[in-house]
Amino acid sequence: MIEFDLVVRRYGRTVAVNGLTLTIPRGELFALLGPNGAGKTTAIRMLVGLLQPESGQVRVCGVDCSRKPREASSFLGYVPDEQYLYEKLSGREMLEFAGEMHGLERATIRDRIAREAERFDLASFMDNLTETYSHGMRQRLVFAIALLHDPQVLVVDEPMVGLDPRSARVVKDLLRAEAAAGKTVLMSTHTLALAEEISDRIGILNRGQLNFLGTLAELRQELSSPHQALEHLFLELTNGHPSPDAKERPS
Amino acid sequence: MTTAAGPPTGLPSPEAESRGFLRLEWRILRTQLAQGFSTSRLRYALIIILSILLWFGLFHLVREGFHFMKGTLPQPIHADVVQAIFNMFFFALFLMLIFSSGVILYGLLFRDGEVAYLLTIPIHEERIFQHKFQYAVMLSSWGFVLLGSPMLVAYGVVADAPWYYYAMVLPMLVAFVFIPAGIGAILLLAIMHLFPRKRVHLLVLSIGLLVGVTVWCFWSLFSRPETDLLTPRWFQEMLRRLQLAQEKPLPNWWLSSGLLKAAGNAWSEGVMFLSLLIANALFFRELAGMFAARIYRKAYWEAASLGTPPTRVRMGWFDRTLNHCLGFLSPPVRLILLKDLRLFRRDPLQWSQFLILICLLLMYFTNVHPVSYPIRVSQWVNIVSFMNLSVVGLLMSTFTTRFVFPLVSLEGRHFWLLGLLPLKRESILWAKFLFSVGCLLIPCGLLILLSDWRLGVPPMLIVQHQGTSLLLCLGLSGIGVGLGARLPVITEQSPSRIAAGFGGTLNLVISTLFIVLILALATLPYHVYLARQAELTFAFGIESAPLQITTHSWLILGSLASLIVSTLAALLPMWIGARTFRRQEFH
Repeated sequence: MIEFDLVVRRYGRTVAVNGLTLTIPRGELFALLGPNGAGKTTAIRMLVGLLQPESGQVRVCGVDCSRKPREASSFLGYVPDEQYLYEKLSGREMLEFAGEMHGLERATIRDRIAREAERFDLASFMDNLTETYSHGMRQRLVFAIALLHDPQVLVVDEPMVGLDPRSARVVKDLLRAEAAAGKTVLMSTHTLALAEEISDRIGILNRGQLNFLGTLAELRQELSSPHQALEHLFLELTNGHPSPDAKERPS
Repeated sequence: MTTAAGPPTGLPSPEAESRGFLRLEWRILRTQLAQGFSTSRLRYALIIILSILLWFGLFHLVREGFHFMKGTLPQPIHADVVQAIFNMFFFALFLMLIFSSGVILYGLLFRDGEVAYLLTIPIHEERIFQHKFQYAVMLSSWGFVLLGSPMLVAYGVVADAPWYYYAMVLPMLVAFVFIPAGIGAILLLAIMHLFPRKRVHLLVLSIGLLVGVTVWCFWSLFSRPETDLLTPRWFQEMLRRLQLAQEKPLPNWWLSSGLLKAAGNAWSEGVMFLSLLIANALFFRELAGMFAARIYRKAYWEAASLGTPPTRVRMGWFDRTLNHCLGFLSPPVRLILLKDLRLFRRDPLQWSQFLILICLLLMYFTNVHPVSYPIRVSQWVNIVSFMNLSVVGLLMSTFTTRFVFPLVSLEGRHFWLLGLLPLKRESILWAKFLFSVGCLLIPCGLLILLSDWRLGVPPMLIVQHQGTSLLLCLGLSGIGVGLGARLPVITEQSPSRIAAGFGGTLNLVISTLFIVLILALATLPYHVYLARQAELTFAFGIESAPLQITTHSWLILGSLASLIVSTLAALLPMWIGARTFRRQEFH
């Protein structure tokens, strides 16, 4: 499970995340939405150990991500928006390195690589150098790396960028399957249709603050717009384009 | 608050992590070598051949120097002088390695994409640090090993050193470089943890300190006029002035003492100094690792949370003046030239090392003042002024390789903009050519002028040197831009990596050949004439010697040929480059 407890993070004078409190339990697929610069990536970077909260706590499976970052990261699988791959390694070698660094046995690594190769259809290019991969191939490999050690928590930043429809379907099914298997999935995305389609709950972050937290139905209820699409509601909440016919948001 | 899950089991031990990283590095190296030998044989062959040539050239030069000293100086002074030279050389490298390893590690530990990946998986911070530290040591010290080893082997040959001296050279050098690199790493981590916001100020301060120490060294060496140059008394005075670099607690003293003891058949003392160096290398490596284990991630967090304050930029007085002065150029050429100049100026990491080199040359030239030397030294002045011109030329060739050659490749990502503008592609190349000529001509001309003025060379030679520098700048710019357009690396965004590739290596080789040719054609005949005149003046008191027919022909034909060669060097690569650039597709 993931917990953000009154988390604040500034960049210089800019407040990126302002008092974020959020709990995502096991078995939930949570979509974090927000306009550019809302603080989504900052929140994720604190979760995966790349930033420290200025105040408040971020915990993964009860482990404080700032105090015990190594232990916390062992529970995590992370798919960043900008993937890093060793260009001079093959996909298989990259998977072996990741498995080794998570302390998996050689035989286990071999089995898991076979599993991920099948799941993400990697077999045809897995022994080629990653520098030759297309964006979609890279994204599939990064998913495989993130899931190799069977993490309790999967964190995905913009999962659909560069994926063809077939790979996108695979990823959507995978995220749902992971949540159904009792894992916690946090997905940050701009693709509102994706959030609408697969997430259990959504959080809308705007200027570092969580403007809404709940299910899509609850959001519609809160805005008294039962038949509006998520895009409309999102723009309404983030002051993108206030709808003239939508009712005023309760204070 | 949720109860913590049980501690993660089965995470790898530091030793297992170490083995994993070793395997990673080996696999990457193996792939790079295999790729290099299958697709870039020419490049690898060139690099190897040039390195061997450079090594043997240095070896020969230094061996001659050691022979000269051995023949000139009495034994006790000779031993002291050699130790002083070693001490000073290693002391300068010691300071430079602290600085360069710190700067390199900053990029590797705080701005690298690999680190952002490694910090998200359960690896000890110390292991990430050691992985990057070893790479930084290699990057910052390969040049030192390449330049230091011929000097030490040459000394061994002249001193008839036993076999174990040669066996100790490499381990001693490697152990030595780990000490300043460890100190640089500790300083960097401390700065990034304690004063992350002041890191740029501290970088400037450390550059200032480095320059200050160098100025002080030069000042203490050459501040008084010399009257008995290269005599035993002069050497003894120099030794006294080099006292700072001869302090026994300094690693450079251990290294030079260890090498000299080993060369002097003192096996046990050589081993003792080698052990001392290895022990200290391990100590500083471990100490840096301990620091990293405690503060690296915190320092990374501090650096990552600084944010980038919005920088408002506008066309300053310099750009406005330049824009006005370049009014004779067509607007596209002028605007691209100004754009390149701004990009170059606003990226201090790119040009700071080059600036340090220019400053060092400036200090050296400022301190060359042999006007009070006896007449026979005018021969030496003649040689030194020629060598100074050659050094400046070679420095400019590294500038064009490092900065001018990658210019066209770097446009690859921006070509969606440039390619859509209503201008000929050749205009882009000519703008870069003019940018390069301008950037080269000012420092090149000023440095050579300063050197000639301090050496007191005749006015005609000053004019001749300035003409040569103009030819060099035109030719080097044409080669840099033209080859850059002919062999672009549009997938790479790092200028240093573009320069380190095949095209960059070829650019360096062709530029060096061009410099040698121009100097041989345009400048050497004049220096030969001056050397002959100095000989006659010294031997017979003849003030003005007539030109020999061969020298006369060499002067005239050489000047004409140098004009033709530099025009060809400027235009031919540009023409070849333009042909490729017109057809180049940017994705």
